[in-house]
Amino acid sequence: MNEILSLTNVTKSFHHKTAVNDVSFAIGKGEVVAILGPNGAGKTTTISMILGLLKPSAGEVKLFNHLPQEKQVREKIGTMLQEVSVMPGLKVREILELIRCYYPRPLEMPELINLTGLTEQDLKTRAEKLSGGQKRRLSFALALAGNPELIIFDEPTVGMDITSRKRFWQTIHHLAEQGKTIIFSTHYLQEADDAAGRILLFKDGAIVADGTPAQIKARISKQSVSFIVDPELSLENLYLHSEIDDIYRKNNRVYVQSNNTDRVLELIFQEKIGARDIQIERGKLEEAFEQLTSGAKEAI
Amino acid sequence: MKTFQMQCKVEIIRVLRNRYFVFWSLVMPILFYYIFTNVVNTNAPDKAEWQAHYLMSMTVFSVMGSSMMTLGIRMVQERSQGWSTFIRITPLSDTVYFAAQMIGQSVIHLLSITIIFIAGAVINGVSLTAFEWIASGLWILLGSLPFLAIGTLVGMMKKVETAAGISNVIYMVLAVAGGLWMPLEIMPKIMQSIGKWLPSYNFGNGAWEIVRGNLPDWKNILILIAYLALFMLLSKYIRRKQEAA
Repeated sequence: MNEILSLTNVTKSFHHKTAVNDVSFAIGKGEVVAILGPNGAGKTTTISMILGLLKPSAGEVKLFNHLPQEKQVREKIGTMLQEVSVMPGLKVREILELIRCYYPRPLEMPELINLTGLTEQDLKTRAEKLSGGQKRRLSFALALAGNPELIIFDEPTVGMDITSRKRFWQTIHHLAEQGKTIIFSTHYLQEADDAAGRILLFKDGAIVADGTPAQIKARISKQSVSFIVDPELSLENLYLHSEIDDIYRKNNRVYVQSNNTDRVLELIFQEKIGARDIQIERGKLEEAFEQLTSGAKEAI
Repeated sequence: MKTFQMQCKVEIIRVLRNRYFVFWSLVMPILFYYIFTNVVNTNAPDKAEWQAHYLMSMTVFSVMGSSMMTLGIRMVQERSQGWSTFIRITPLSDTVYFAAQMIGQSVIHLLSITIIFIAGAVINGVSLTAFEWIASGLWILLGSLPFLAIGTLVGMMKKVETAAGISNVIYMVLAVAGGLWMPLEIMPKIMQSIGKWLPSYNFGNGAWEIVRGNLPDWKNILILIAYLALFMLLSKYIRRKQEAA
């Protein structure tokens, strides 16, 4: 595998608190990975170690088979931190020109502007006078300025409005199609589900699940078929089938839980119970997230 | 090399756009110079000498201020706005970054020195030999090193407001007590003996000696070097302490 990033038994402790505990994973070229978890799960600490801003207390972080601090690594990565960074006293265009010249093969200016949605007006504005949204766009442009192979975002969409958020994910999708490797942290499940091909679910500084969004959902939540049916009708017959795990009513709908939803559909028609408005419920990532990150250890 | 040039250029642009710099380092010294050599009657026995002396005082005052404040406050700003962290992730090396800051700062000082010297020549027709102009300019450029070190100390503070406030107080105290505003000779005896040990007095005295046709005293040079070493050690110590926290 074309390995871009690897963490081997990485631990980080601050004073008495262990923020990241014995984490290992590897990310290959072209993957789009979400680091998902509730606040305080160790996402930002992990990202800071990947970026070389923090040194692990134990274990090893390697990017492109080198240490994060090495120049050849820095030339291949771009990043947008949680805390927006601006250089006071310069106009946006000047900052971008400056950062571009740090890299051996920077992204061309027009492409950079096009990707990040910076306007002519933004480019002429001094960094300290930018609005929150403009600062975010500048940060995004700074991340892409060096035409990086690996892009790392820490909570990228915090503070973005719906339009910019949508635009941001479109751009990420576009970059992923070009073969860029993308890692982002988020506590929005929906974002991880929509944008990532793989989710690393963090809880209390450790990875509790690692897989595609579908795999993580399948691991935890049951699938079910729901429909509307005459309330008078008895559903006794359905209970007789061993494939069905459970049947319950909620909001005038009947929910039939099973791992084989195709079979349930077959049964519904076979028994001629007159079911209407049939839906297959896939089980939501929220449920998986809650189950995996809530206190109860047995669920894991 | 392209990166280095660009970085220097950007540092210079930023200083010139800074209103505080333009006010404290150019407008104020020139205004003071005009007032204390033309408006206020200082009863100086040798008028030409006083005009040259005070021109040096004000140039030293200007360069001292931008070393301490412009550099220090900019460092705090960059850190508090997350820029320093971002820069650490880019391929820009610390050496290039630091060197560009120092060169940028020196170019700015050279500019301040030139402008204030020209102002002196224009306002009062101060005339020195070519050697005296160049030697005093160079002295002021090099003598600013201990003050740049104070600037890096100021740069370690957490908040821009604290950094600006504290550096302003240090700046004024050093300027007045070091005899930059009015000569030490007219101050009380006790002030004189303290003042002679301050970096600001020794910085100024080198330039004053040059315009009187002498060379800077060895004592001035040694004291400035000692202060430079002291501030650098202090800054290293504080940085280590901050990193450990």
